[in-house]
Amino acid sequence: MFGLNKIIPVEPNINFLGLRRNFLIFSILAILISIGLLSIKGLNLGIDFKGGTLIEVSTKNTSIGELREILSSSYSDVSLQEFGNENIILIRLQNKSNQESIETVNSVKNLIQDKVVEFRRSEFVGPTISSELLFRGFQAVSFALIAILIYIWLRFEWQFGFGAVVALTHDVLFTLGLLSILNVEFSLATIAAILTIAGYSINDTVVIFDRVRENLRKYKKLELVDLFNLSVNNTLSRTIMTSLTTLLALVSLFTFGGEVIRPFALTMIIGVIIGTYSSVFIAVPTLLIFKFRPQDEDD
Amino acid sequence: MKNYPIWKSFTAVSLVLLGIIFAIPSIIYDENSENWFLKNKINLGLDLQGGSYLLLEVQLDVLYKEELDNFVDSVRLISRGQAVKIEKINIQENEVVVFFSNKEKIKDIRDSFFQMYRGVTLQINNNKLSIKLNDEYRKIIQDSAIKQSLEIVRKRIDESGTKEPLIQRSGKKRILLQLPGVKDPERIKDLLGKTAKLTFHIVDNDNVSALQNNLAPFGKIIVPDMYNENTKYLLDKRAVVGGENLVDAKGSFDQTEGHAVSFRFDTEGAQKFGKVTTNNIGKNLAVVLDGVVITAPRINSAITGGSGIITGNFNAQEASDLAVLLRAGALPAPLEIVEERSVGAGLGADSIAAGQIAAIIGMVLVCIFMILIYGTFGALANVSLIVNLFIIISLLGTIGATLTLPGIAGIVLTIGMAVDANVLIFERIKEESLKETKVYQIVKNGFDRAMSTILDANITTLIAAVLLFAFGSGPIRGFSITLSLGVIASMFTALMLTNFLVYMYLSFANKKELKL
Repeated sequence: MFGLNKIIPVEPNINFLGLRRNFLIFSILAILISIGLLSIKGLNLGIDFKGGTLIEVSTKNTSIGELREILSSSYSDVSLQEFGNENIILIRLQNKSNQESIETVNSVKNLIQDKVVEFRRSEFVGPTISSELLFRGFQAVSFALIAILIYIWLRFEWQFGFGAVVALTHDVLFTLGLLSILNVEFSLATIAAILTIAGYSINDTVVIFDRVRENLRKYKKLELVDLFNLSVNNTLSRTIMTSLTTLLALVSLFTFGGEVIRPFALTMIIGVIIGTYSSVFIAVPTLLIFKFRPQDEDD
Repeated sequence: MKNYPIWKSFTAVSLVLLGIIFAIPSIIYDENSENWFLKNKINLGLDLQGGSYLLLEVQLDVLYKEELDNFVDSVRLISRGQAVKIEKINIQENEVVVFFSNKEKIKDIRDSFFQMYRGVTLQINNNKLSIKLNDEYRKIIQDSAIKQSLEIVRKRIDESGTKEPLIQRSGKKRILLQLPGVKDPERIKDLLGKTAKLTFHIVDNDNVSALQNNLAPFGKIIVPDMYNENTKYLLDKRAVVGGENLVDAKGSFDQTEGHAVSFRFDTEGAQKFGKVTTNNIGKNLAVVLDGVVITAPRINSAITGGSGIITGNFNAQEASDLAVLLRAGALPAPLEIVEERSVGAGLGADSIAAGQIAAIIGMVLVCIFMILIYGTFGALANVSLIVNLFIIISLLGTIGATLTLPGIAGIVLTIGMAVDANVLIFERIKEESLKETKVYQIVKNGFDRAMSTILDANITTLIAAVLLFAFGSGPIRGFSITLSLGVIASMFTALMLTNFLVYMYLSFANKKELKL
């Protein structure tokens, strides 16, 4: 019989909370570095948010160098990049006025017509649209954080909501910082990934908080630190299991899902790892700020 | 098993059956099926089936400016009638300010003006009349412009032979176009790029100095030639007749003139055209399209039949495209393309293939992992997981949702996340098995205790998905749809189907003790 779950003891007893200071320092450093990176280096904004023109072509017997030569004589701001394999090339052009950009697409297509087997896609995002999309992305993420906070508030006590939002903000900033270091393209799909990470991370946190609440009722005499530790341990195998299955699916998406979806999958993988970490090491310790039992104050 | 409620078994079994049955149309995927059942298949988004997405913005500023020009003309006409001299006219962004030489009749002028343009804000200050384009007036212009533009765009797209286009208003001043299967949107963009405002004007050949000074007197305009910018015509500003009176236009071939567009007027147009040509024999009649003169032939005789041809240096395609534009009618204002996303069928097919592989491999990995960890229970959860996938597919098909590339990513992601509910239940069962000894009690407690956690955990994911739907656009919405459906379906399959399977298993295997 299989049943490898016996590897993880039914009632593990790992002192997670004892390590909280180390992890807190690690996370604070990570967040500070992330903020620094975001303000200095920034994100690798794709055309969704920066605006511009993107053309994906498949070629045969034509190197990226040849195409670059043809195009750079007409356009100074053109950039070319292999996409997945050497026969598929992405051509990017900076934004101009709407009308000009549309004409650019046409003339680029005409210039390289005979070197290209297929124009796989062409995208153009005008300057007004890109700033709107960026604004809406921000709106979506902020509203999601607020809505989740309100939900946790309603279902738990407000202290839990605070812990959850601290963890969430941590996840979002940390993930953005890593995206900046890794130079992953930041697109509409990345916003979707970040919102999903928020949902996922909070899901993890909620499961542990649920247990904290249950244990608070069950063990009235237990020290809070021990009680939190117990709760994390109770839910540990679930936390690990769900993260692993989600990661399995995401790694499959990253490896086989195609070039276009890869940045999304990568962002999600980073986010799931950070989200799982933060549920245990950030969200729960944050609860220690609060006194959950009136009698604690009497002691 | 004796005590397992019948309704629960029934729900679990029908969940499986319905899920599988309604997934059939999407799995067979017969594109052109007319069968009522097979029609319930998933719609593929433009990024998967190939096609063009265009977002057009109506250039309202042009319209506002035009309206201000109309104000000026009308004020001139009125004050001329009242014999009041105008000293100066200032045209600002939103406002026309007219300075009269005296203020005696200014109130009368204001009143006559108001008769023509109700809703504008008029203000008198000494000898100054200011006419303001207020917000309501702008909104009226805006709404009617969008409505007209939508109609014209629809006609032009229909004429172009695109099948199943989606044309809808988006926001205050935009029009969204989805053109499935259109690989090369250049021709569509050409068709939409022209306003196609056609008017006929009498040419003024007498006033030579006006043309020389490039200064049109009141009531006249100077218009360049279509083919040679330096050739200019002095025309009556008032059009004799316009494109709105056309009932038909076709590309045609004329022995002497080459490719041309033949047209026919409606009764009103034919009458106007007949009258003007009768009264102006010997003069030239200019055909003006979007601010340039296509041709200006001499009127040799009265044309009363209500039909004619427009000649120019057209080739066959240009003549037939112009005919399409004339048939569809003029746009009230130019359209500007502000966003375009076109995907070729090749990339779409690649994306589908890659998505399928990723989903299958993800599924296999998760299933193997579940069996490794939970043994038989893992296998039961896998059955739920597979049914879950069928349910997502059948729901997408029956509600007619659109599957996009991010949508496929959502499905693969849910494969990983869907087992969560099962994991929560199994972990609870594991804990309960330390306290309880009765097998059925353990399982019952496990499911009951896991329930509220499952709800809490999934609702937060749903919140994120719903907000994504509200703020996201096209393809991203596809992601939020599959993610939401996946999360909801996973709750149902875990609580109904896994529950049923676990009880079935325990009862058939006749388990006396439970070690998970």
